[in-house]
Amino acid sequence: MALKTIQPGSAPPHAPSAPKTNARDRAERRLAFRMTAPSLILMALVAAVPIGYALWLSLNQYSVRTAGLSRFVGLENYINALASHEWWAAFGQTFLFAGLSVTLELILGTAMALLLNLAFKGRAVLRTVVLLPYAIVTVVSAITWQTMFQPNLGLVTNVLSALGLPGGDVVWLGEHGYAMAVIVLADVWKTTPFAALIILAGLQVISSETYEAAELDGASKWQTFLHITLPLLRPAIVLAAIFRTLDALRVFDLPFVLTRGANGTESMSMLAYTELRENRLVGEGSALSILTFLTVMVVSVIYIRFGGGNIRDVAKEEQ
Amino acid sequence: MDLNRPALPLHNKAANKTALAATALAAALLLSACGGGVAPQGAEQAAAADPSSGANASGNVNICGVKDASGIYKGTAEAFTKANGKVTAKYTEIGATTDEARTQIVQRLEGKSTECDLFVTDVIWTSEFASQGWLLDQTKLVEANKDRLIPSTVETTKYQDKYWGSPFFTNAGLIYYQKDKVAKPETWQQLYTEAAKAPGNGFVYQGKQYEGLTVNFLEMLYSAGGEVLDDQGNVKIDSDETREVLNFMTEGLKNGSADRAVLTYNEDPARLAYESGNFGYQRNWPHVYRLLNATPLASSFAVAPLPAWEGGKASGVLGGWNLAISAHSTNQAGAVAFIDFATTPDWQKHVAMDFSQAPVNEAAYSDPGVLQKMPFATELLASVKAAKPRPISPVYPQISQAIYKNVYAVLSGTASTEDAVKKMAEEITTAKASF
Repeated sequence: MALKTIQPGSAPPHAPSAPKTNARDRAERRLAFRMTAPSLILMALVAAVPIGYALWLSLNQYSVRTAGLSRFVGLENYINALASHEWWAAFGQTFLFAGLSVTLELILGTAMALLLNLAFKGRAVLRTVVLLPYAIVTVVSAITWQTMFQPNLGLVTNVLSALGLPGGDVVWLGEHGYAMAVIVLADVWKTTPFAALIILAGLQVISSETYEAAELDGASKWQTFLHITLPLLRPAIVLAAIFRTLDALRVFDLPFVLTRGANGTESMSMLAYTELRENRLVGEGSALSILTFLTVMVVSVIYIRFGGGNIRDVAKEEQ
Repeated sequence: MDLNRPALPLHNKAANKTALAATALAAALLLSACGGGVAPQGAEQAAAADPSSGANASGNVNICGVKDASGIYKGTAEAFTKANGKVTAKYTEIGATTDEARTQIVQRLEGKSTECDLFVTDVIWTSEFASQGWLLDQTKLVEANKDRLIPSTVETTKYQDKYWGSPFFTNAGLIYYQKDKVAKPETWQQLYTEAAKAPGNGFVYQGKQYEGLTVNFLEMLYSAGGEVLDDQGNVKIDSDETREVLNFMTEGLKNGSADRAVLTYNEDPARLAYESGNFGYQRNWPHVYRLLNATPLASSFAVAPLPAWEGGKASGVLGGWNLAISAHSTNQAGAVAFIDFATTPDWQKHVAMDFSQAPVNEAAYSDPGVLQKMPFATELLASVKAAKPRPISPVYPQISQAIYKNVYAVLSGTASTEDAVKKMAEEITTAKASF
């Protein structure tokens, strides 16, 4: 589109010279294609080939007895997976985890970004410091949380007991509901800074003139936030939501370390891992991986289609 | 996990309409089709190791396995190189954790890599690897060395009436107890009764949903006379013994014999909880002895072999590591020489004295040098001799998952004993059918 407008000799479509321009257009497109071909091929190799290979694996059953022996079973692995209680339990649990953790991360992330956007002494240092949880390897932070929630010994359980609050005598990782709460908490602690950083970037592009105009019109702080900050922040929040949701739906390390999937915390990725790595059931495991992949893809398409409306609006405005 | 997995007869090639459509789709995505018919090459076709070949060995032996935390693998390789003169040995770490090492070994074996001559394999991997034809048959070698090896440890390398590895060092569960608070446990029933008497007497074990729970459960099941598979490989888990043990463990969580927190414990959290001094008994591995000795509990704890089931016998589950020769090794004679050295009664003393591991040679346990370093050697030997291997099957990981997931469901109260036992039997049967 942009290319067309800057062409010096471009004529309206109904002009007699139109066929000539079309020929030039085609040549132009061929050139564009040739120039992008290397990166397209590279992307195909890096992304499409492994996915295609996994798809092929998922349509076969592989012998556990004899390496390399396999038979084609079509969609049988998928049918078995979709008919199993395990898959749907993991599906529901993964979405519960993603829903809870992403919602909390966006609320806390927005609050954090607003604080970090204020002008105060030591702001630069604080912006770096809040990122620390995000820099810690998830498995390490998971082990730390496990220790903190340990009955009798853990920091959290001891503090709750000392303060006489409920929960001090709960075996957090050993109970339905509580175990999920710990996993959500560990994820929120770790990735809220990431959401905050994206939202902070969105906050910084809102021009101060808008705020000044609102102030002159006598808008209160709350009105300013609700009618100016929040709508203008929406693209950034949607972006953070997309990143976080896609990550959350693929969650593996937190439940793997904290509960091994016990007490209603097994995720879709854990299920695929068990079949692929522990049981060496390559076909079944690949089918579960593809199902996870499809789930994540559908969710991202929904986000972009419905949540990301203003990403396209912004693009239109620029044109 | 139960994914309604069907048996896998590999000779028929399904070709219905869905399958065809899917083929077209897959073919479009792929440049080359893979898989297909490969000649079967299981344990039946495996070559055998020659026990006399070790004497004429030369060259280098590359031993591969997990990260060498205790130094035993590198230490043994060095001592072997020094003692032998003709053959050198080198230890290569190919995984930081047990799971990682297994993946790395499987990758090398699937790719017919000649990099490693010997693999250090967890006792539960032996049948899986042997069933693939990945290992050299060590039957003759094991027969030749049999009088120096504890019989129960040799059983962990057995698959289809042949031996596929030589035990290097073993492992078995022990009971640590506070002798000022509780009595030495003779039976599990006595241990549980004693543990429920006072709040500080409780029992801690490994009850998290993982392999360790399978071990803890089987230790009781075996002593109660139950089993998972019989000698012919038939599923025997749906039994009165299984129900009895599950009810016993559940009751223990209800009446305070065991703290509910055990549902989150693997080895280390169980040890840390016990170190707080708030418990009477702990089930754990021998390595805990040294760690407990460095705590204020040093003077008040004692060690006992795993107790017997009331009216039954004492039993347990073997851990430990075997030495398996790769079918693709280019120095099989060297590998035999290394195994000969590692299993000598003399070196087995060093296994205990220098690296605190449990020897596979019985005489080592009464050696004065060993007893000084490992004062609980007598109790450990009792546990090792009474113990049995975990179910021997190429699909052991799936069998273990069926056990620990269902046992966990009963202990945490989300399933009844009856449903869990039925489900366990069903899932183990399905797992076996997937082979």
